[in-house]
Amino acid sequence: METHAAQQNGVESVWQELVELVNRQFETPPFRRLLDLRFSQARAQALSIQMKHYVANRRDCWAFVAGAAPLSVKRLIWEHEGEELMGDKAAGKVDHITLAVQEGKIFGLSPEDYERVRPLDAAVACFYAWIHLAKDRPWREAVAASAVLEMRNSDELVRGGSLSYRVGKNLERDLGIPLKRQINNAEHVTADVEHGQLLLAVAREHCHTEEEQQALLRGARESLVIDRAYREQLVNMMEALD
Amino acid sequence: MPDIAKLKSTLNEWCNRQYQTDEFQDLLTLPWTMERGRYYVVQNALYTKNRRDCWGYVQAAAPLDVKSLVWQHESDELINDPRAGMDHYSLNVKQGEVIGLMREDFENAEPPPMTQAAFLAWHHIAVKGPWLAAFTSSQMLERRNNPDIVEGGGMSYRIGRKFENELGISLKRMISLDVHSTADTDHSDMMDGVYDKHVRTQEDYDTVLRAAKQCMAVDRAYRGGMAYVMRRIEG
Repeated sequence: METHAAQQNGVESVWQELVELVNRQFETPPFRRLLDLRFSQARAQALSIQMKHYVANRRDCWAFVAGAAPLSVKRLIWEHEGEELMGDKAAGKVDHITLAVQEGKIFGLSPEDYERVRPLDAAVACFYAWIHLAKDRPWREAVAASAVLEMRNSDELVRGGSLSYRVGKNLERDLGIPLKRQINNAEHVTADVEHGQLLLAVAREHCHTEEEQQALLRGARESLVIDRAYREQLVNMMEALD
Repeated sequence: MPDIAKLKSTLNEWCNRQYQTDEFQDLLTLPWTMERGRYYVVQNALYTKNRRDCWGYVQAAAPLDVKSLVWQHESDELINDPRAGMDHYSLNVKQGEVIGLMREDFENAEPPPMTQAAFLAWHHIAVKGPWLAAFTSSQMLERRNNPDIVEGGGMSYRIGRKFENELGISLKRMISLDVHSTADTDHSDMMDGVYDKHVRTQEDYDTVLRAAKQCMAVDRAYRGGMAYVMRRIEG
């Protein structure tokens, strides 16, 4: 029987490993290619539309994760999904899909463009892969698969800034659109700091054995593989727009 | 264009008919003892948990506007129902105190074989069916608990009355049953518009009816299974 202190050490050590995983994601070739890319308006438009589809897929996956998770984790996910699905009326914030579409204006996009342009074929494949992790894996793997994407977008956890932050800064550099005017990117730079901590709360409450902790790492690693595949295809799409 | 009014009226008729089936009658005519009442309340908490799983799966597969509706619905269930000042699982546990149950009784509870099978069947519909089937299956259980639809009151109301009439515990004190006597009116009503908006073809229409029929069959198996086990509880 492991002592409480040993369990907590195990949790903290797995958490550190997860943080390292998300940091290493930025050193992989797909992420390097994405972040080295120069943005044109056409590229920014294409990326913005694809990200709306990505956000919709996140909503599918988080709800599948909630379906299989224990009540306390369902509650955490419910809170997380509130901002995403409903926004925060008191703070004058809209839901995140609407936000993505509203941001499109600064790239010269209309709401109809977001309806008209479908996800890339490769993106559809990645979305189904993420749904598979969310729906068919044991719940700890499933929650890690979704939560690690929030961790990878947390400025608090990623050295040098999250993906939303870095893409936002590149758009600022290449198109002269200040990050604060990129309302979707700016929102995620803030929101995902809090969301990035969700997995730590889950680990502390529900992952006390080596096997349970390994499940988190397994789910996170597989999700990051899909994440790399997805980003690579986004780069291919944008490069082809030259 | 499918006749949605007719669809809803068929669903309502099936909800009403559910109470005349052998399985529902077995449960609702079973003499209520304190031990049987305790067993029912504990098992009902597991039923509530199963609902949370299934609504999660419904939310996952549904279009965004339905996702938002389910999310709002789950607020009462998971976080806080303003009618009760707590979430519905806590409400179950709190209600248990009135009849001498403790939190551990809920945490250690296992479903008997038939209800376990019913839970898995509901999971199956929620996960594997088209989203409209998953949605209908979960919605039907609230519909058949809606006193505005079911003549003579929904299941929560009728079970509450058994506690009142047979054990002398007023419905007001059975707070979870009391809240659900009315909560499922709101829950059932808030979801009703989904059929208006999303049932557009004959195939959609048939999907809803098929899922409703399957859900009602599982529901009967669940209630019949409860009656079978509870009949054997002495005292």
